[in-house]
Amino acid sequence: MKALLRPMLFGVAALIVVAVAPAFLDDYTVNILVRSFLFAAVALSVDVLWGTTGFLTFGQSAFFGAGAYAAALCFTRYGYSPEIAVLSLLAAIGAAAIVALLQGWLSFYQGATPLYASVVSLVVPVVATQILFSGGTFTGSSSGLTGYDVMDLSVEDWFHLTGAFLVVVTVAVWVFVRSDAGRVLVALRDNETRCAYLGLSVPKIRIALLVGTAVIASVAGWLYAGSSGVVAPELSGFVFGTELVIWVALGGRGTLIGPVIGTIAIDVTSAYLSGSLPFLWKLLLGIAFIVVIVALPEGLIPAAGARLRRLFRRPHQTTPPRLTLAPAVPAPATSAVAVDLHDVRRSFGSLAVLRGISFQARLGELVSLVGPNGAGKTTLMRCLSDGAERNGGRVLLNGHDIASLPPHRCVAFGLGRKFQTALVFDTLTVAECLRIARTRHDRPSLWRQADTLALPEAVLQILRATGLDKALGTKAGTHSHGQKQSLELAMVMALEPSVVLLDEPTAGLTRQERIQIGAILTGLVATGRLCLLLVEHDLDFVREISSRVVVLHQGALVLDGTVEDVVASDLVRSIYAGESP
Amino acid sequence: MTTSAILFTVAAGLLIVFGVMKIVNFAHGGFMTLGAYGGLVASQLGLSPWLGLPVAFMAGAVCGALVERFVVRPLYIRPLDAILATWGLGIIIGQLLTLGFGREVQFVAPPLTGTIDFLGEAYSAYRLFLILAAMAIGGVFTWLLTGTRLGLATNAVILNEDLARGLGINAGLVRFATFSLGSGLAGLAGALITPLSSVDPNMGVPWLLNAFMLVMVSGSSLGTLLAASVLLGGAQVVISSLFSPVLGGLTIVVLAALLLRIRPLGLAR
Repeated sequence: MKALLRPMLFGVAALIVVAVAPAFLDDYTVNILVRSFLFAAVALSVDVLWGTTGFLTFGQSAFFGAGAYAAALCFTRYGYSPEIAVLSLLAAIGAAAIVALLQGWLSFYQGATPLYASVVSLVVPVVATQILFSGGTFTGSSSGLTGYDVMDLSVEDWFHLTGAFLVVVTVAVWVFVRSDAGRVLVALRDNETRCAYLGLSVPKIRIALLVGTAVIASVAGWLYAGSSGVVAPELSGFVFGTELVIWVALGGRGTLIGPVIGTIAIDVTSAYLSGSLPFLWKLLLGIAFIVVIVALPEGLIPAAGARLRRLFRRPHQTTPPRLTLAPAVPAPATSAVAVDLHDVRRSFGSLAVLRGISFQARLGELVSLVGPNGAGKTTLMRCLSDGAERNGGRVLLNGHDIASLPPHRCVAFGLGRKFQTALVFDTLTVAECLRIARTRHDRPSLWRQADTLALPEAVLQILRATGLDKALGTKAGTHSHGQKQSLELAMVMALEPSVVLLDEPTAGLTRQERIQIGAILTGLVATGRLCLLLVEHDLDFVREISSRVVVLHQGALVLDGTVEDVVASDLVRSIYAGESP
Repeated sequence: MTTSAILFTVAAGLLIVFGVMKIVNFAHGGFMTLGAYGGLVASQLGLSPWLGLPVAFMAGAVCGALVERFVVRPLYIRPLDAILATWGLGIIIGQLLTLGFGREVQFVAPPLTGTIDFLGEAYSAYRLFLILAAMAIGGVFTWLLTGTRLGLATNAVILNEDLARGLGINAGLVRFATFSLGSGLAGLAGALITPLSSVDPNMGVPWLLNAFMLVMVSGSSLGTLLAASVLLGGAQVVISSLFSPVLGGLTIVVLAALLLRIRPLGLAR
């Protein structure tokens, strides 16, 4: 509850300000502020997408326009009544949600680039405006709609209504982004691949978030149509979409409160100045924008005061959560086949990297994949963890055919994968990284920060062995390469996987750490809960911990046997010596 | 055909910048408008309309050079921010032109008038000239990229910048040259289309969007850009005349977005 105290206090204070402000302001300013409040709410939605999850969007204006037109069209056709108002609000939300789903489907798929998503976000408002232009008398074409009946509210009432709306939305978004679930959004910004391999459906999360922010923008648009009594196609346009981005950048992206204050300040100023020097004002805004982007990427408001930043950003958790032991999963009775590869093939154009690999591995086995550079070891790992990678053959994980399923579904079958270069979430703390890895097991709260973090025994062992348990509150990005390797390993083990793929897990570790991690891994395998596939160049390490060794050479499996078999094999010696077998 | 030719001219400059720098230059529309005004000024000063073209090219190139040095260079590592900064530049150019020339729509007389009969149909001579000009630009660019040392260095930077730098190629200079050239081309394109349309401070924006989508679709090859321009530009004309100009205006962006959803790497691969 303590975490909620500050947003709540802020909210109450802001509501009081909104309640008394009209008494001190002239009518013109109150009128302008009604509009600014609504623009600020849309800017807030842009900041959630851009500042928090790293998706630069120009498209939020389309949702604002959708909401505004939903209200204006309903009131124009059917006149005003409270029922119509509710219906039009529902229509506004529904329309925005449908457009957002469509945009999300287009923008976010496995392997989509951030640039492409931004491109689509550009197309959406362009299309929306053209549709409004071509709507003839129905949408009022280029002159928009005006003169419809709206709720009979005074300017002050509108001020109170829109002000309260802005405060409530801001506090809700603030609490959400600071919550444990909100950390997932930052994780998406830091590293989408790692998120997918922690079992999170990246497209689904992004689409859900887009729909949520679209609804905020749409409700703001609905209120705008009600308060201003006029709507025009420009409201949903691409130019308004870019203005939103400019306001967010000036206010300070990723700070939530910065864009809100920035938007209000800029919109009010431009309302006063655009009368006297319209073009000069826009020119100054453009110059300020470039200066901020080049020199102060954090934005004006955060730069203006570090105090302000400390107050409004999520504070680094001074007390990281207490680690507790998660209840252990009972070990399976039999040593079932965990990984089953049948004739797996992968080629890039005419270059065949894997030429039909078949083998099985059971729970309780630690299989090392060895072979010279270019043998196809890492490619094989990819084919095991992403259904879209291979060109032919079948992969079964714990009896489930992975078909062409994306990585997060493979994780659901019990897979965990550690990458060759450590992938962690640089701007999150160690504890937050681990909590995101536990998302599949403990649903993170949408509004609070839990004060305990339950982890399986193996993860606690790894943390203790590498000293990471003392550094839970520090940012992951500040750690050494070796520490990141250990953290990623801990994150993978926090998934409680039954099949683990490790690509050079000990590179960058000290000898001491390597021995400890080796012991933890063999201990885990010995419990019969785990099947471990290891790619490793350190042959001493392989010899110490493997129960079986598979040798790859030029994309084919040349030997599958015990450590002794491989060490004694002339074939293996000739491969490593560079002669053709 | 004319539409495709103009699209190609506008997009070629954007493409070369995108290919080399992986940066989308949203000020491209601004440079284009600048070129158009360059042509306008030249014609108002009573110079030959043909002289307007090099003037427009120079205006674009000089502005591009300044922008590269002071705005884009610090942003190479933040490509999305570069998009934003160049968009801001586009706004600034638009406002400066508004301050200087007013927001009225102005017209320029084409340097070529009359029609030419070709295969039994009468075509406007200037439109035919445009097509030739687009082909010439395509040809010059292909020659620059494949036949000169600068082209070789540029290709090296496109493929692997770190390696190119390691081999002693001045990547900064290549980028500088590319950006100036691309901006100059934008100015040239602006001057070329003015006789067909009108000149106003925000004329660049719709062209920018279409050209941008074309560049996205065609990856980084001039050949596919040509194909995409002809294909999508043709589709735009067909849909405009069959249904409505509004739908036609949307053709390129919508088709390109769908194409990219199906083939994320564009038509090139």
